[in-house]
Parts: sequence; structure tokens; C-alpha cells
Amino acid sequence: MEISFLDLTLANVLFLFVVGFIGGLVSGFIGSGGAFVLTPSMMSMGVPAIMAVASNMCHKFPKALVGSIKRARYGQVDVKLGIIMGISAEAGVLYGAHLQKYIRHEFGQDGSNLYVSFVFVVVLAIVGGYVLLDAWKLYSSGAQEEKKTKIAQWVQSVNIPGTMMHFKALNARISVLFTIPLGFATGMLAATIAVGGFIGVPAMMYILGAPGLVASATELVIAFIMGFGGTIKYALDGYVDVRLAMIILAGSLFGVQLGAIGTTYVKDYMVKIVMGVIMILVLFSRGFMIPVYLSNLGYIDPITDGTASILSNISFALLVIALSTGAFIILYSLLHGFRVEAERQKAEGDTTEEPIEPAVQLSPTGRFERIMLVTDGSEFSGGAEREAIELAKKANGQLFITSIVAVDPDYELLAPQLLEKQNAQAQTILDKVKQAAEMAGVKCETVLRQGSEIYEEIVSTAAEKRIDLIIMGRRGKSGLMRLMMGSTTARVIGYTDCNVLVTPRAANLTGQNVMVAVDGSRHGDIAAETATNLAQYLNANVTVVSAIEGDYSDRHRKEAKSIVDRVVDLMKQKGVKASGEVLMGSPATTIVDAAKDKAIDLIIMGSHGSSGFEKVLMGSVSDRVIGHAPCAVFVARG
Amino acid sequence: MDKPTKKALVPAILWGITSVALYASLYYFEKPILEASAKGGWYFIVPVTIAFIFSGVHGNFTGYFWEALGVRAKKK
Repeated sequence: MEISFLDLTLANVLFLFVVGFIGGLVSGFIGSGGAFVLTPSMMSMGVPAIMAVASNMCHKFPKALVGSIKRARYGQVDVKLGIIMGISAEAGVLYGAHLQKYIRHEFGQDGSNLYVSFVFVVVLAIVGGYVLLDAWKLYSSGAQEEKKTKIAQWVQSVNIPGTMMHFKALNARISVLFTIPLGFATGMLAATIAVGGFIGVPAMMYILGAPGLVASATELVIAFIMGFGGTIKYALDGYVDVRLAMIILAGSLFGVQLGAIGTTYVKDYMVKIVMGVIMILVLFSRGFMIPVYLSNLGYIDPITDGTASILSNISFALLVIALSTGAFIILYSLLHGFRVEAERQKAEGDTTEEPIEPAVQLSPTGRFERIMLVTDGSEFSGGAEREAIELAKKANGQLFITSIVAVDPDYELLAPQLLEKQNAQAQTILDKVKQAAEMAGVKCETVLRQGSEIYEEIVSTAAEKRIDLIIMGRRGKSGLMRLMMGSTTARVIGYTDCNVLVTPRAANLTGQNVMVAVDGSRHGDIAAETATNLAQYLNANVTVVSAIEGDYSDRHRKEAKSIVDRVVDLMKQKGVKASGEVLMGSPATTIVDAAKDKAIDLIIMGSHGSSGFEKVLMGSVSDRVIGHAPCAVFVARG
Repeated sequence: MDKPTKKALVPAILWGITSVALYASLYYFEKPILEASAKGGWYFIVPVTIAFIFSGVHGNFTGYFWEALGVRAKKK
């Protein structure tokens, strides 16, 4: 065939640019689409059919390349799955083209058209109907997660030795004996109706068990491989009009980038809605052409040329409407997503920019006006919740009820629904505690944070909110295990610069009997000053203790007694009921034993502020007291 | 939608100029390019190479274009 190229007018160029943009937008979002409008559009300009197909292919692979790179950045692409399916899809394209040629040879052009329309109607009616129904069910049920179909569960459970491959996005091992036929069918459909994604994306979602966003993103890798192979095939015969391809590409790259960005703002089921709607509209479009082909083949009474022309025009108009509707839904979702995100950011900004009221007192050690309760809703947090509300009420302070959701960045990308679920659970716990605090007349707010290191989030939240006191529950772990592993509590104490109150589950901080441990250092003095302020709040009796270990000489005992007496005298001067005692033996053990004997309900200690590895490995006196004390332990910071 | 950013503006302009230059070259060398690609055979390299070059340059331009306008992916 003599290859002649079309003279392009400005109107042609603008038209291709716009259709390219819309097709790109849809492709970036659902992984494919656009070709079913572009190819007939080029043909209507006078481009021969084979050249229209070839030029469409030549714009498709660079578009899919840009789209897949963009969506891989959002963690949505399974490259391995895309390549495996893409290679088998290429085989499907070659076979599909061969089959088309055979049908055209045997039954003529109308027979070929009827075959194409038949495939269109069957595939679009069954698959498109199912996709749309599934999307509607997800949307109307308000479900956050897509459920794997029974077929997908079965496919993921089948083990055929020697054929198994692990796919990261599916988090499963699947036999390639399943992926190869699916890829092949995708390719065959691409060769027949130009949009392989109408099979590829639903197959990955419903048969392999991929989430909608992963399936549509991975389809772009398949489209790249098919488009690249197809372009070479047609270019070898010189059928590619690179001008047409590059003009369409100019528009479609704007669209594909926008469509890819759009996927980050929508729920998974939006892919299904857009795909389902387009498929059903395309189905109607092809349905209008079937009488024309049947009439031409003589299976029904002949219809006039005028009627055939009207049906053909309606069919093409419906294709344009299908693509435009898809693009409209995507743009609407994108704008809606922008608006919701902007409101969320504004709300977060408002919270952080909330003016912090200045403290009434000047004392840095006994200020309990901004109290942060860290809770995970577990039984271990029960004591902390109760005491935090009680203390905030007594000190007339503000309570910041905080919960930290532990996240793993890799996991977060693959299962964002899980994170949303965890956040929702944590918020429910926070709301419950908030309600209890408000009923007790305590001014409070909730803080929900996510982070991979819980202690870091606690420490940074305390710093941002200018917290005076962090209240945490004590986990069951104790002894060697606790020392070796370190705990979130130990790390918070090591890194924060504010007071920390650790309460065991059964703690009952009545504020009757308080014990303070001093050692003559400035850290001990800080503990003593905090105890004085706290005893004034709680109207408590204070027992001041100092422990000596190893050297029990008179001189050493006297020295310890003078340290204790000094603090007792200072407390008495401030009207606090105080008494003193020198303990002999290991500080941690003797403090815990004395607390049990004297029915102490709160131990106050200073922190020597060691942090990091040394503290976690060795454990400090305060750490060991926290681990074994029958009551709450207050670690005071200056 | 975020606020438009100056950070993406400079690369958007630079890639945009390169992209326009490529399209201008395609228009200017339209005849020899079409003649070469119509020959087929090993000349398949011509449209394929053009497609790759355009996807790189114009892809970067369109990416920075939306970013410069403040149209960015949602932060997780």
C-alpha cells in the first residue's frame, strides 16, 4: 500500500490535543482508555484505519510510561506483575491480530465488524456490569476496604510448584499459570477493541485480588509493553504517523499526570465506578452499530443508508460521551478531594495555632496546668486515665488525651485502609476518655498522632503542647525482660524534659501518703520541690527517704540523715506534714519495699536524665522502681 | 489543591521551552521525518526514538506544570 500522510489543519491539531488530554486523564486514572475515541476520530479526519491504529499505539506507550512512573511514586504499581502480564499480553495482541485477519478474510469487513461488536457487547455487558455493580455496592455500604472475591482467595491459595511468584502489591504468591492467560486475554482484547484494560484491570482486581488502585496502575505497565510492541510492529511496515502520535501525546501527558494525581485523593472504588460507567456507555455505543452490520451481512432486512448513517453517528457520539463522562467524574473527584484536603489542613492548622494560655504559677516543678494523658485504650491505661482525670480536676488543669497509632511506612502505602481503621479505633477510645473527663468537669482536648516510634511522638507532642506532666500506664513487663528490651515509658522518661507519672493498672492515687526519694543531688532537690507542691495540692503526708548502699558507716548514715532532715524541715516550713527515714540496701528495692510497708500511693523521684542506649540497657533506679512499685511513680524534671 | 509553588516554576519553564523546541523541530523537519518513518524496516527506530524523547521532555514539563500550579498528590 502506498503510504500517504494527511495534511494537518489547525482544527485537526486542536481536536487531537483535546481528545488526547481527555483520554490521558482517563488512562492515568483507570489504566487505559481513550483509544476507542481516538482511533475513529483520526479515521474521520481521513487517516487510513491501519495508520490510525498505528499512530494511536505510538502515543500510547510513552503515555503509559509517564503514567506508570508517576503512579509508581505513589506506591501503586506492581512492576513485576505488570511485566509478567505485559509479556503474555503481547502474545495475546499478536494472536488477536491474526484472528482478526482470518475473520476478515473469511467473512469480509462486515463480518469482522460484527465480530468486534460482539466481543465489545459480551465483554462490556458482563465485565462492565459486574464492575459497576461492585462499585455501587462498595459505595452504598460505605465500606472502607475492598474485599477479595472468593475466586481471588482460591487463586491465592493454589500452589503449583515451579510456577509460583510472589507479588508485592498482592502480598501473595500466585502461580504464573493464572497470570499468563489473563495477560493473553488482555492482549487479545486490546487487538480487537483497542482497550485491553477493560479485561486486564477487572482480572487483576477480581481474579488475582489486587486493590482497584494497584490494578489500574499496574495496567499502565501492561499498556506500555503492549503499546511498545505494537508500535514496533506497525513501524516496521512504515504505518506510524509520528506527528499524529506526538500531537495526541502533547495533550495526553497533561491528562495522564492529572489522572495519576487524582488517584491519591479518591477511595479505591472510584476506579471501579469510572471504569464501569465508561464500559456500559461504550456497550450502548456498539449496540447501535449491530443492526447495521447484521443488515450488511443479510441476516436482517436491509436498512437504508440514511438510517445506517444516523446509527453510526449516534454510536460515535456515545463513545465521546463515555470518555467525557469518565473524565468529568475524575475531575469532579479531584476537585472534591482538593477541597476536603484543604479543609483538613486548615483544621489541623487551627489546632496547632491555638493560643496557649500562660501559666498561672511560676514554679517550674509543681506546675500541673497542662497534663497529657497517653492512652491506648488497653487495660494497662485504665489506671492512668482515672488518675489523669482526677489530677487535672484537683489541679484545675487542662487535659490533653493523646493516642499514638504505630505505623510502618511500607505497610501504610500498601494498606492505607488499615491505617484508617486503626485511626478510627484510636479516635473512638479518645472520645470515650474525653467524655469521662468532661463529665468530671475537666477541660480537655484529644490528640491523635501516627508514627513509627511511639516514644518519639509522645516526646514531640509534649514539647509542642508545652506539657507540664505526662501520665502513662505501666505495661505488665518487668524485671530482666524490661531492662533488656527497654520500654516506651523508659524511653519517654529518657528523652522528655517534662515530668512523667507512670501508673500501674491498680493504682489508686488518693494523695494520702506520698514518698519522695532524695540523694542530695539537684535532681533529688527537684523531686523534693515537686513533692512539696504536689502535697499542697493533695493535702498529703510526705515521707522523705534516702537510700545508702554498700558503705553503712556512721559518717555515711549521718550524711544521708542530714539530707533527709534538710528536706523535711523545708517542707514543714511550707506547711506540709513530712517525716524522714534513711533506707539501707539497694535503692530500688528498699524504696519499693518501704512504699509497700507504708501504704504509699505515690512515689516521687528525680531523674538523672541519662538517655538513649545506656539507660535502656542498664536501667536506672527510677526505671526499676517504676517496674516494681505497687503504686504510681512520678519522675520529676527540672 | 496546594498553593502554587515557585520551586517547580523554574523547571516547568525550562522543560516547557525544551518541549516547545522539540515540537517546533517536528514541524520544521516534518517532511524528512515522515519520509524516513514511511520506509519501514530498520527505520522503525525513527518514530520509536521520537516517542521516547518526547515522553521524557514533555512528561517532565507536564509534571512540573501541574506542580507549579499547586496540583499535587495528597500527602499520606
